[in-house]
Amino acid sequence: MLSEMQILALGVGGVFGAALVLAELADPDRIIGTLRLKDFHAMRTIAMFVLTSMVGVLVLSEAGMANLSIKPAVMIPVSIGGALLGLGFGMTGFCPGTGLACAASGRLDALVSVIGMLLGALAFIFVSPKILPQMSEMWNYGETTLPKFFGYAPYIWVGGFVGLGGLVLFFTRPRRG
Amino acid sequence: MHKSNEPILPWWAAGLLLGLVMTLAVAVKKPLGVSTQFVVANGAVLKQVAPDYVESHDMLKKPKYNTPGYGWWFDIGLIAAAAVTALLVGKWKPRATCDWAGANGSIRKRMILSFIGGFVLLFGARLAGGCTSGQFASGWAQLSLSVVPFTIGMFVFGMIAARILHPKTPGAGKGASYVE
Repeated sequence: MLSEMQILALGVGGVFGAALVLAELADPDRIIGTLRLKDFHAMRTIAMFVLTSMVGVLVLSEAGMANLSIKPAVMIPVSIGGALLGLGFGMTGFCPGTGLACAASGRLDALVSVIGMLLGALAFIFVSPKILPQMSEMWNYGETTLPKFFGYAPYIWVGGFVGLGGLVLFFTRPRRG
Repeated sequence: MHKSNEPILPWWAAGLLLGLVMTLAVAVKKPLGVSTQFVVANGAVLKQVAPDYVESHDMLKKPKYNTPGYGWWFDIGLIAAAAVTALLVGKWKPRATCDWAGANGSIRKRMILSFIGGFVLLFGARLAGGCTSGQFASGWAQLSLSVVPFTIGMFVFGMIAARILHPKTPGAGKGASYVE
């Protein structure tokens, strides 16, 4: 029998997997098109995703219902890790979530990429004790947020991003689609 | 059946849907995240074959990294629902390459790139403490400071890699028709 935790996880993971396919982010052509600045549909989808998430999480936080998990702002590993993820992202058109979704949609290249990902994780396990502590010494600001680090309340940040993003999305909106 | 060059959902509906999924995830348990489970898959195996190594490893000895939990079942749900949804909307199709890889691009080259890219991107995701879900989307959702260097690194190097490895825009009826 599945536990309550497992059912919850399957459910949330399930709606995310379905949404990745419906939003077509589980499509290497869309991702590569976005990185080549050619696919404005996917680019706008990602922007709308981020802005909606900010508002949703802000509302939950204000209501005291948010289960947050802030990643530590260790600037060196986060920058280098982001750059490596970007390289792989541009090489393949997959990221971990969409790679799994694409492999599940019949894409053999995604399945090969997922195998690469598993080996990449294994390499990280072996290498990380030697590199991560040194990399995390400098410019480590801990589990902080933009509102805490720079001041101003979260709703001001969210209002600013949503206002600015909304204006850009509105004035660059496509004629159709 | 869905036409291949027309989006299933308009961009705003697609983004809204994903944003609501993030909100749901934060309401019930924790922000979206996928890449930790690639470590857990290795950790669970290593715990069987090399328990001493796992015990001596600062990260791996934590149950979070060697025992399947919420995140594991989250990824199983993601895989299963992606397969079912792709079937339902007519997007399930066995294939080994994509339009951007080029009409003349060899399957072998696509496979090699997919493998190396997967290796590099997961290593990077774990170094950064999260991937496009756990760092980028969840980071912006929570306005974390870490999301700023992560996003810059990801898009700058993503654009460079895509420019070098996928220089040719696919022809009409292919990826180019995605352009609005």
